[in-house]
Amino acid sequence: MDTKTLLADAKARFSHNSAKQYLKEKYDSKLTIAEQGGLWKADRETITLLGSFDSDKLVVMDTFNNPVEVDRKDLLSKLKAVYEETMSAWLKEWAELEGKR
Amino acid sequence: MTRGAILFAFNSPKFDYYSMAEYAAKRINHFLDMPVTLVTDEQSTLSSTGYKFDKVIKVEPNLDNKRDGVPWINKGRCQAYALSPYDETLLLDVDYVVNSNRLLKTFETSVDFACHDNTAYFMQPKLSQEVLSTYSFKTLWATVIAFRKTERAKQIFECLEMVQNNYAHYSNIHSFISAVYRNDYALTLALRIANGHTYLPGDIIPWNLLHVGKNTTVYKDNSNMLDTEYTILFDNWQKGKIRKEYIKVKDIDFHIMNKENFVELMKNG
Repeated sequence: MDTKTLLADAKARFSHNSAKQYLKEKYDSKLTIAEQGGLWKADRETITLLGSFDSDKLVVMDTFNNPVEVDRKDLLSKLKAVYEETMSAWLKEWAELEGKR
Repeated sequence: MTRGAILFAFNSPKFDYYSMAEYAAKRINHFLDMPVTLVTDEQSTLSSTGYKFDKVIKVEPNLDNKRDGVPWINKGRCQAYALSPYDETLLLDVDYVVNSNRLLKTFETSVDFACHDNTAYFMQPKLSQEVLSTYSFKTLWATVIAFRKTERAKQIFECLEMVQNNYAHYSNIHSFISAVYRNDYALTLALRIANGHTYLPGDIIPWNLLHVGKNTTVYKDNSNMLDTEYTILFDNWQKGKIRKEYIKVKDIDFHIMNKENFVELMKNG
């Protein structure tokens, strides 16, 4: 039996909350990268912090709470790229899921 | 630098773990581009369908452990360090379904050793994390372990063997039931001991282990073996009635706790 028929026979409903949770599990992990001797999450807080300084070098706490001296511009550029790529894929899959239900 | 995966599979009267390992190995080969070594016993190899593992290491199974009245051969994971032919190894449960290359990241985010300390369940976001007992540690998970051949990783596996050999003693201290040996519990204790009774965040894989848990069934959306799209169906019990709920997932790894469901998935490609 194909899954379409199975869902119809079972009168199953699409679960928005579970779909949201699944996407969060999937894409959150893609936001984490290892760079310059630390582990970083390409989130709003880290990107904003890196973007708010002018210096070339900056000491930042990584996700393990270890202070790491980083090349600020280089790390910012990598985190922004990861953020953009991941969030675009997240949005695309969310739209697909909403369309499939 | 060599990199590969190692699986342990010993058939039981109820399940053909060798076939599960073949299924898992094909996915590891495809999505992680890694060779796979299998640790098994002579009897289990009779289930072979001809898939060529990188290496097959035959050992004497330890039949001590029983679950639901039948042998559950899950002791011996502590040998993974000694048996792995690779410099960098992924040790996986055979019922872990690889659908992406995400596990390659574990070698970037860890130095010697990494495992999961947090889980999430499809369709059941409110389930709490498992603990050894009320006043003991949060459980670590042996479902996915990444390690390098370093002195520290060796010590962790030696410690795992020590905990396995003294499991009843540790169950007394930490107030969990010792009747069924669980690698997850042994790992939880071994990693703590090897780290000087501390918690090192660098040993933890920085995302959740995704389980397919109770009342949840995974269906494949088509019969192509390497396809990564699934429907997850959940029986949501509310006020004595079942409300069926579903989601569609793709390109995400997960661990199926229900072996019958895993067997069905294998049959459907």
